[in-house]
Amino acid sequence: MYESTTATLEARAATENQSVKLSMQQALNRALDEILSNDPKTVVFGEDCGRLGGVFRITDGLQAKHGEPRVFDTPLAESGILGMSVGLAMAGFHPIPEVQFDGFAYPAINQIVCQIARMNYRSRGTLPMPITLRVPSFGGIRAPEHHGESLEALFAHVPGLKVVSPSDPHDAYHLLKHAASRPDPVIFMEPKSRYWQKGDVDAADGGTLTGARVVRPGRHLTLVAWGAMVARCLQVAELAAEDGIDVEVLDLRWLKPIDAEALATSVGKTRRAVVVHEAPLTSGLGAEVAQLITQSCFDTLKAPVDRVTGFDVPYPSGDLEDEYIPNIDRILLGIQRVLEYRRG
Amino acid sequence: MAEISFPLPDLGEGLIEATVLDWLVSPGDQVERNQPLVELETSKSALELPSPQAGKVIRIHGAPGETINVGEPLVVFEVPDNTAGIVGTVPKDDAPKRRVRLSAVLDED
Amino acid sequence: MSGRHTEEHIHTVEGTDPHLFVEVHEPAEGTDAGLRPVLLLHGFSSSTKLNWGDTGWISTLKSAGRRVITVDLPGHGQSSSPEDLDSYSPSRIRADLLQIVADAGARPVRAGDPTSGLDVIGYSLGSRLAWEFGATQPELVHRLVLGGPNKEDPLASFDLAAAQRYLADGTPIEDESTAGLLKMAQLLPSNDLFALLSLIEAIKGEPFDPAEAVPHMPMLLVAGDKDERAITMPELASIASHAGGMVEQLLVPGRNHSNAVTSRVFKDAAVAFLGV
Repeated sequence: MYESTTATLEARAATENQSVKLSMQQALNRALDEILSNDPKTVVFGEDCGRLGGVFRITDGLQAKHGEPRVFDTPLAESGILGMSVGLAMAGFHPIPEVQFDGFAYPAINQIVCQIARMNYRSRGTLPMPITLRVPSFGGIRAPEHHGESLEALFAHVPGLKVVSPSDPHDAYHLLKHAASRPDPVIFMEPKSRYWQKGDVDAADGGTLTGARVVRPGRHLTLVAWGAMVARCLQVAELAAEDGIDVEVLDLRWLKPIDAEALATSVGKTRRAVVVHEAPLTSGLGAEVAQLITQSCFDTLKAPVDRVTGFDVPYPSGDLEDEYIPNIDRILLGIQRVLEYRRG
Repeated sequence: MAEISFPLPDLGEGLIEATVLDWLVSPGDQVERNQPLVELETSKSALELPSPQAGKVIRIHGAPGETINVGEPLVVFEVPDNTAGIVGTVPKDDAPKRRVRLSAVLDED
Repeated sequence: MSGRHTEEHIHTVEGTDPHLFVEVHEPAEGTDAGLRPVLLLHGFSSSTKLNWGDTGWISTLKSAGRRVITVDLPGHGQSSSPEDLDSYSPSRIRADLLQIVADAGARPVRAGDPTSGLDVIGYSLGSRLAWEFGATQPELVHRLVLGGPNKEDPLASFDLAAAQRYLADGTPIEDESTAGLLKMAQLLPSNDLFALLSLIEAIKGEPFDPAEAVPHMPMLLVAGDKDERAITMPELASIASHAGGMVEQLLVPGRNHSNAVTSRVFKDAAVAFLGV
């Protein structure tokens, strides 16, 4: 069912420093392999992460290569996975734990919010938490309840955490390596519906890894998105182009801290913005983004910043996903609302 | 080794059952993902059902002419332990579909 | 190339764009047989998806290294449902098909060039269209495979007035064939009944007369041995062979008009027959 990522790794070893086509799953696997090779303090663990190689094959082949002490399975207890991460970090390790699905992060909220996020603050900088928590996130794979969520606002609200979500294999590879090299805890939200699509990964040149990234320049309106919604917004931009509307797509990437400058630059130019996210509307990150844009671009905005988001309901299970996740038409309608807006 | 049972999937259009026309695989066959498994007929059309996964077929349910309800076992695969237990499905990369058209007079000030 | 006529391929036929949904499926990677494209024509109240996609035909042909052109007939599948009756007439559809296959790269048969020409596979109504297309385009069509074929188009005897009465106020339909066809059309909620009735009306204006124009290229006729809609297949075969064409016939055991289409026997025979 899956291509062997270890085979890919070996095949790629000879062509280091060149752009290669990888799926996000392969890119993340490769990044973890390199992190484990380069940093002996790194440990990778979670449910089924060891022998099985992870339900999404992100840790495929890593236990065989790096040994069970460094890549291992845990009991089905997220509080334990994250609690152990705290202890490992205090003892000088660099843990890269995984919660198997985003909905399984809830049982570990105490460890994440009360321990990981504030240990550095509590210890006056003597106990940093260099933890990269990998969270397969968002919907799009028709999984049951609790297997698809959109928790970025929850995490972004917690002081002490950083939150990032890559949208393509290249960013996934570089952002994971970057996150793992930082002294702060990073919630790394992997868009699981994008695990299988391939893209060019230039291992040698990651580009700027902080802040947002313009993935498609445009003149008339900025779509702000992250994770799996970036690909959808790129599709929308192509369709909008058919109607003569030139849409810029800004991949926010870092959801904490948010790149306010990139928002100001993009919307300062286009003067219109729509934020797209899978999470429910109310108190979602779209509100934060809209405020940052309003703060910097109030005088030149042609319309209020609009939001196209999931609904204010629990994130549904697979069968209802298509009704919930912002689709192309809903995003186009959001764009139309902004285009139609007239003052007064 | 683990067993994975594949029930007759929802065939859409409100269909609740299908009749087996012909099996294209036999127990013992090693099949690839998307390889045709069985010809089925519903009250609306005949179709070929592709295999949802790779694996060895160990049991098939329903002889030609027999009717199977949606959700009932159709075929059982034997798969290596390390491929069992995957949750969810790989999303299809369909071409984008739209109904909404944009219309706007853009004043380029 | 897929979807409605793409930018570089907007060609009007008789002054209008038929808005037919066309897709070109390339051979599976590394299998290109270097043969002419295959055009697939689906049946009444069906679609490319139902007749050729879900049944495994497109993947079978692609795996056999064939390039496949599919088109949804007007009022069917993802094609639009024109308001005017003319858009549904078989002669107009044949003209549209000619433009479509030309746009998709089909070229007249040239001796010694296996990439030239076009093979056509039809089912039911699609077989009628394929017969006429082969008869009127002898320079283009290389071989024909006609599934569930009939000497007369069952749609021509469709009782349109009874169907319209039934749809308006539920008056039962006496004619069994009409009732059966309408039931088939109503089973699929995606069907546009207005368009399908327009198609029937247009077909009644141009009923099938296989002897009027007979294709001369080799043809394979296939039907289930329980296909009551194709019992006249041997008569079609004799019309074609009297005209001098090479004709093969194949009966699929145990199958009827609605389920012969998925049969492996049918597919294997078609792939072999067209693989020259």
